[in-house]
Amino acid sequence: MNIMKFVKTNKLLSGVFIAYIFLFMTMPDKAVLSVKNSMYYIIEMLEIMPVIFVLTSIVEVWVPKEVILKGFGDKSGIKGNVLSFVLGSVSAGPIYAAFPVCKMLLKKGASIMNIVIILSAWAVIKVPMLANEAKFLGVKFMSIRWMLTVVSIFVMAYIVSVIVKKESIPIDKELKIEEINGIDIREQYCIGCGLCKKLLPDYFEIFNKKAKLKNTEIKNQEIGEFKRIIEKCPAKAISFK
Amino acid sequence: MDVLTISLWVITGTAFIISLMKNKQQTLNSMKIARGMMKNMIGDIIAILFLIGLILTFIPPETIKGVLGQSNLFLSTVVSALVGSVTLIPAFVAFPLVGSFVDVGASIVPAVAFLTTLTMVGVVTFPLEKQEFGLKFAATRNILSFVFAVLIALTMGVVM
Repeated sequence: MNIMKFVKTNKLLSGVFIAYIFLFMTMPDKAVLSVKNSMYYIIEMLEIMPVIFVLTSIVEVWVPKEVILKGFGDKSGIKGNVLSFVLGSVSAGPIYAAFPVCKMLLKKGASIMNIVIILSAWAVIKVPMLANEAKFLGVKFMSIRWMLTVVSIFVMAYIVSVIVKKESIPIDKELKIEEINGIDIREQYCIGCGLCKKLLPDYFEIFNKKAKLKNTEIKNQEIGEFKRIIEKCPAKAISFK
Repeated sequence: MDVLTISLWVITGTAFIISLMKNKQQTLNSMKIARGMMKNMIGDIIAILFLIGLILTFIPPETIKGVLGQSNLFLSTVVSALVGSVTLIPAFVAFPLVGSFVDVGASIVPAVAFLTTLTMVGVVTFPLEKQEFGLKFAATRNILSFVFAVLIALTMGVVM
């Protein structure tokens, strides 16, 4: 059963593994050649991986993301654009991890242009990834692509802000205290960091690397606590419902 | 190790030590989060690295050069951009993969198109984006990203 689960979560790896087994049985010389061909890239990867790992970790520490997020709503113009760009570039994770964060910023009054800047920068501009790109494709390649991408992001963000109006974006309204019926955790965004469990162990637990509600009944006097967790959740996966 | 890698190690090492001195607890905490992210990707990373070997063994360089080389550049660029749009692999492993293609003679133009749409255009995550931001926003952003990816790629071809 465990093997099935492994295959399911590692489809690509399992496929490649089977291909190699098949190859070793039918054409061993080709199999050896394939491993040899891969070796160069594996060694290069091992050389750069610790760098990427450490860079990803320390960018989070060095940049006061919470401060950026807090002062976001009222910033506009060029300053807001630059702030958005910085926010997107320093955040880790795939583009969909940016959706809940952007949703929250929209609620706080961020403009469409800034949201597109955050999403795009989040997707393509990453310091650790730039190091990786320079390693495999050269410094010149990396820097030219970086410059062209930055320009494109700003032009694109402007075009989207002209075409799409804020009214077309669904925004759930802020609930009044008496309207709150419970807590909603959107699992697809949860990164399983365990912060909610640490702050309110009576209500949250981590199961299968995702936050789960232990206790669905929330008391009115604890709403303040929940508000704090909703603010603190790094993936912005928790909300009132 | 080449000069670039060594200098990256030196810069990163220095930054890491400063970070530890500045805030040890927070540094270790975010290393834990980064470790979790790496764990999720490691399967794909190993798979792609070994896949590169298979590709280089079974697809002759002349074929790669012929399909992704200087001839029919526009078509191969658009197709690469399409492939990048629907693929969902970490950008992290895309660089060695693309690097291996360029090493055997593929043009950088389709390479750039693939790399850019891979991260900026998300066909697989489109339903999620639509749900959060509405159809108009999601469609406009993804289409524009696709167009700009091709433009960036063609410009790179001219500049480099």
